[in-house]
Amino acid sequence: MKHNAHSTSPAKFAVATTFAVLLLASTSITTVAHAANPEWQPKLTERLIRLPVDHLRRAVDNDFADSSLASAIGDVTDKVGGKSKSIQDLSEAAERADSELSTELRHQALVEKQSLVKLMGERVDLKRKHLSTKVRLYKRLLKKAQGKSNPNSPSANQLAKNFEAATNRFDRTVSQVDMKLFKSSMASESKYSKDYRKNMAAIEKLVAAINAHPMNQLPEIDGKVVGKEDYLRQLVATTESELAILDQEESILGYMAKLVALDAMALSEGLTEFDPDNEDPDKADPAEITSVVDLFVQ
Amino acid sequence: MTNKIIATAVLSAALVAGIAETRAGSLENLERERAIVVETMLSPSLRSNERDDKIEVSKRRLVDLERMVIRDKSLATKNTPVVRTAFENYDLTFLVHSSTEVQKTIMDHWLEQIGVSTQSLMTARMGRR
Repeated sequence: MKHNAHSTSPAKFAVATTFAVLLLASTSITTVAHAANPEWQPKLTERLIRLPVDHLRRAVDNDFADSSLASAIGDVTDKVGGKSKSIQDLSEAAERADSELSTELRHQALVEKQSLVKLMGERVDLKRKHLSTKVRLYKRLLKKAQGKSNPNSPSANQLAKNFEAATNRFDRTVSQVDMKLFKSSMASESKYSKDYRKNMAAIEKLVAAINAHPMNQLPEIDGKVVGKEDYLRQLVATTESELAILDQEESILGYMAKLVALDAMALSEGLTEFDPDNEDPDKADPAEITSVVDLFVQ
Repeated sequence: MTNKIIATAVLSAALVAGIAETRAGSLENLERERAIVVETMLSPSLRSNERDDKIEVSKRRLVDLERMVIRDKSLATKNTPVVRTAFENYDLTFLVHSSTEVQKTIMDHWLEQIGVSTQSLMTARMGRR
């Protein structure tokens, strides 16, 4: 027995062990469960639009991170990592193993590849769900931001114009009125004017602090400072481009699945070692009728 | 923890919105005071010097009220008929500031704005319809 154990090649022993460990690992990975229909329903309110845009983006990401959809994507990503590793190990082991074990390992690698393609497909579906929800949310926020800055009706636009014109005209006459009312007469400045001036000084200090606050800095795109609407538009565009990349990833998965199918066909038909360049044209095929004629003439 | 922080941020944002919406009725207050001034100008029971005194007192209140309205930025987005009319007729809404701008008395400026000038009054004839 002892002699037999020593005569077993180390490579074969290592391959067998690796194979067993990998089988075990793959079994334990597949037991990780996630919700049957993981979802992300953003709990964020549209009041978020009042916050600095960078904070808004982070709030959206954090809200997603707490969802069952994020956990499901994380689970599937872990499984994909495990599968990739096991396929790599199985392929390496198959190269080192002798023919029978090698075939078994290659078969196992194909099964793992098939399951990897399935997992990647699942991951793409979950990511699509995430990105679609994110695009919808950003579009809703963008609409809200546009509604805030651009009132819809022409009368609202006209009112804004009139208000601005009135403010400009008013500002030109304020000092004139003060001069006429307070400086030229015995009357003192009103309580409202005094308090207003005092409060304005406080407001100016607060405004300066708000402007200097790091969370109030306007976001930048390619080094250029942009407004809230532009930044939200950029977020929508980026998320939509990620969705387009997912479509491309789906095509890649299609090619991968096709390749796994071809490998499986090749393995089942024993064609993997078929090399037309090394084939000897003069070698007799034992199945040919001319080869068996001799059996009858003897 | 993160959720708590986000909730605080959202509540703070709501607070900002609340503060912006608390200053309401500035235009209504101005309209009320302006109506009193117009009533004083048209009151036949007042003598000339009484009328002038009353207008002078109202004028001081109107200055503040007009400033409150023009500083009330929420009105720019409050698209109601009252607000629209007020800003379409600057001279009638901001009576004290506009009359000072054109260097006329409140009464002259108001009468001119509604289409009655001193000259048209002087040339008017009394008669029966």
